[in-house]
Amino acid sequence: MTTGHHQRSGASAPLRSTSGRENRSWALTRFDNRYTPYLVIAPFFVVFGIFGLYPLLYTAWVSLHDWQLIDGDQGFTGLDNYAKLLGDANFWNALGNTLSLFVLSTVPQLLAALGLAAVLDRGLRGRLFWRAGVLLPNVISVAAVALVFAQLYGRDFGVVNHLLGLVGIDPVDWHAETWASHLAISSMVMWRWTGYNALIYLAAMQSVPKDMHEAAVLDGASRWRSFWSITVPSIRPTILFTVITSTIGGMQLFVEPQLFDPGGTATGTGGSDRQFQTLVMYLYEKGFRLFDAGYSATIAWVLFLVVLVVAGVNFTVARRIASQG
Amino acid sequence: MVSVVTAPPAVQPGRDAKRRKASGDRAGPLLHALLVVVLAASVFPLYFSFVVASKDNSVLGEAVPPLTPGGNLIENITRVFDTVDFSLAMMNSLIVASTVAISNVLLGALAGFAFARLRFRGRNSLFLLVVGTSMVPAQLGVIPLYMLMSDLDWYGTLQAVIVPALIGAFSVFWMRQACEESVPYELIEAARVDGCSVLRTFWHVALPAVRPQAAVMGMFTFMTAWNDFFWPLIVLDPNDSPTVQVALSALASGYYTDYSLMLAGASLAVLPVVAIFILLSRQIVGGIMRGALKG
Amino acid sequence: MSKSLAGRAATAVVAVLAVSSAAACGGGASGADSGKVKLSIGVFSDFGYDTLVKEYQAAHPTIEIEQRKVKMEQHHTQLATQLAGGRGAADIVAIEEGNVAQFRQSKDKFVNLADYGAKDLAGQWTPWKWNQGTADDGNFVLGLGTDMGSLALCYRRDLFEAAGLPVDREEVGKLWPTWQDYVATAQTFTDKTPNVKFVDTALNVYKAILDQAEEGYFAKADDSYIADKNTKVSDGFKLAAVLGEKKQTGAVAPFSQEWNVALKQASFATTTCPAWALALIKAGAGDEAAGKWDVAAAPGAGGNWGGSFLAVPKQGAHPKEAYELAKWLTAPEQQKRIFKETGNLPSEPVAYKDPEVTATVNDFFNKAPVGQIFAASAESLQPTYRGTKDSKVTPVFSNALARVEQGKQSTSDAFAQALKEAQDVAK
Repeated sequence: MTTGHHQRSGASAPLRSTSGRENRSWALTRFDNRYTPYLVIAPFFVVFGIFGLYPLLYTAWVSLHDWQLIDGDQGFTGLDNYAKLLGDANFWNALGNTLSLFVLSTVPQLLAALGLAAVLDRGLRGRLFWRAGVLLPNVISVAAVALVFAQLYGRDFGVVNHLLGLVGIDPVDWHAETWASHLAISSMVMWRWTGYNALIYLAAMQSVPKDMHEAAVLDGASRWRSFWSITVPSIRPTILFTVITSTIGGMQLFVEPQLFDPGGTATGTGGSDRQFQTLVMYLYEKGFRLFDAGYSATIAWVLFLVVLVVAGVNFTVARRIASQG
Repeated sequence: MVSVVTAPPAVQPGRDAKRRKASGDRAGPLLHALLVVVLAASVFPLYFSFVVASKDNSVLGEAVPPLTPGGNLIENITRVFDTVDFSLAMMNSLIVASTVAISNVLLGALAGFAFARLRFRGRNSLFLLVVGTSMVPAQLGVIPLYMLMSDLDWYGTLQAVIVPALIGAFSVFWMRQACEESVPYELIEAARVDGCSVLRTFWHVALPAVRPQAAVMGMFTFMTAWNDFFWPLIVLDPNDSPTVQVALSALASGYYTDYSLMLAGASLAVLPVVAIFILLSRQIVGGIMRGALKG
Repeated sequence: MSKSLAGRAATAVVAVLAVSSAAACGGGASGADSGKVKLSIGVFSDFGYDTLVKEYQAAHPTIEIEQRKVKMEQHHTQLATQLAGGRGAADIVAIEEGNVAQFRQSKDKFVNLADYGAKDLAGQWTPWKWNQGTADDGNFVLGLGTDMGSLALCYRRDLFEAAGLPVDREEVGKLWPTWQDYVATAQTFTDKTPNVKFVDTALNVYKAILDQAEEGYFAKADDSYIADKNTKVSDGFKLAAVLGEKKQTGAVAPFSQEWNVALKQASFATTTCPAWALALIKAGAGDEAAGKWDVAAAPGAGGNWGGSFLAVPKQGAHPKEAYELAKWLTAPEQQKRIFKETGNLPSEPVAYKDPEVTATVNDFFNKAPVGQIFAASAESLQPTYRGTKDSKVTPVFSNALARVEQGKQSTSDAFAQALKEAQDVAK
């Protein structure tokens, strides 16, 4: 898109005379300047107000009661649910799992996405083809994903164990061991979301002027160095953006671990020992299987607060990293 | 000598950035090989779905997973259309995803433009509020939302799925970013001086400037809406007006899943998304090319 | 240029909104045929209603019926959401026996079928099945029984032969009059063929043992929590755990994809099978296993796993018509026909004692006379009492047993932990 060249330069326009008609139009402009912005951002807040805020507040209300899903309000209990939650070993377990899965799946994934974007940014033949390709994992229906990964990580007949056996390693029970299940699920998340984030980075990279990059290379800096010193800082806002969205998504991880659970949503508790149950899975179990809506709402609210904290931390850390080098 | 254009990193003039030179930046064979591996890993599950869809359920029990297509594809696809009203489901998903995507792009761009380039009181705190709203987990408000839908009498209608998704924090975020990158203040000043109202400035100046980012976001939004499963399953009627994902779950009903049937449906469900991607991808690539010509 | 994109976008939005509102109006309008009563039936799995529904519609021209089939787990979760929201439930909903206790608690959201004369039908079913579907001492009829699970034990003839065990189903049945004998047989089997697992999972064994007990986790008299005192629970758990500890089970979740693969690869020799599981075993094992599986009597006596009820949520618009349809679908004649088509065992004596039913053989299972086997099991059936909080406590013990199977905990530790957790959940 062209910029600026056939528009006037930023020099200010000559003052207009203040006739009556132009007074009105100037007043309209002032009105426009002051109030249109609010008008323009209003749709978001209206939609969010009705479909986001209202359910949010209602859920907060529910969390202060003993509220059963079908039978409804059973009585006000104040902060009892919250107190119970803090003493609930399963909650802390889920929190730990969520954080572990988050770190394992998000950090390598964003780095890989960055690398992938860098490669895709180069001159490639059939650009469209590559980009469509890396986005495919995100497009495939979840049922297919579940099936493929079940085949991969099956204990007795899975492909991964088969390959491990070829190099003499004993078969791993991917669902039973905590560390194995976390690795497996992280691989699922990475597989699904790396391409997505890579394309976001790619879009950002393509608005960066290549001149500095090329100049640095010509000046003798390695590709790698110039990538880290020039390209990455110049897409810093985008990186921060993906860090935040990945944090939010990672802390709310539900689909991938649930698919990994042979019990599914019917009986699954994230493994026989809750070894890979995340907070949202626990929320779902309490709310939709055990019908304790009050407790489920409590988990949801605590999750919300945790996400705020973690996102804040990540943002600060990432900001520092992305501006170094 | 090479003249270096020293644009400070914070301001991106956007589309007129000089692009790669004709030579010197081509990816070597090693990188191509790496890309092939990545692509293979990405495509494999789709291919696998296709293979299973072209055989029958029992192949999944084999010790070695099936890797070559069989001959049952047409039959399974026919069964898909016989079992559920799949074309209706595709149509519904298309309507839902398109509406949500377009709405998010327009409304998101509007809001993003406001947050990025307009000055008004409370701008920063309001934006922080937008960021905060994105941290709310989706599953949190399902029950109250469901009750709201029944009060509005929207159960089983497409509105129930479309309206809550018309504009999201992600879109506002993203488009604000885009406006910051691609819409310089000078342009806006010029337009305002020329007498354009805020809205006209947006329409004629900002929106065209962020077209590539809008295209990317539109596509992502389309995909997310297309794949959305949890909420539509709760609020839509599988026999009345389902979306594709809901219809797929109906295909998978029963104690055991007829995977070949369901994956036939899943393979079909992928096609429109790929089509939209190809459609929109021109916007992204096209924007770059125009900038390169300017160089 | 800018105008064209924006212009096109705008036109598109308008067009799409127009179409969507048309679709919404058109799609949601069930009243397209005014005067017709539209009934929906919410089921999971195959209830065998496809042909029956067509027949009923033909016989009742003012009624239109549609089936909504979803996966079982989603079905019950959805039902709970629909009852909570007060909208969206089908006119007739199926409820599986494991979930009846919990929905019985919300009976105020269901139509009392006794209001339409359902109590007169009581004699159609075996008393225990009828009682499962009622509340308030039989005054509130929640649901009409569809099929029942009954219990037998399926085994692989060729694997038994390789281990030197008898192959004929009568003989096999004699191997294990009690569950202790079953566990002993497992040892004999493993001694001879250590590379093959004896049973798919200890969970099924434990479940079967409990299903045969009169009371499990909750007392029949007052629904109080008795898992910590009930010896049936601890004995059953420990017995099943023996199989797990000795790694004689395949440790696969029943009916999962892994289970299918294990079936196909013939990696386990026996599994507890209610009538409705036969079709699943056949699907998983594939055609090449035809004639290799057979059905014998299960250890212990009776025991019921599964079976459902048809209930009518209050939010429906046509409760009377819904009741009539449910009544017809669960009538003995229809249950017989369903059995012939899907193998779902009728829950009414008139039906399962019918010579047509008892004469049925299943070709895949080596021509086993399944009608007879399951009906015989049904007669001696003493259904276990399922407490209202049963569905909350069961996963706790299932997980515990799974931990033993996976070698993560000893039996005593797992059981102790299970008791502690169950106590919390059952409060």
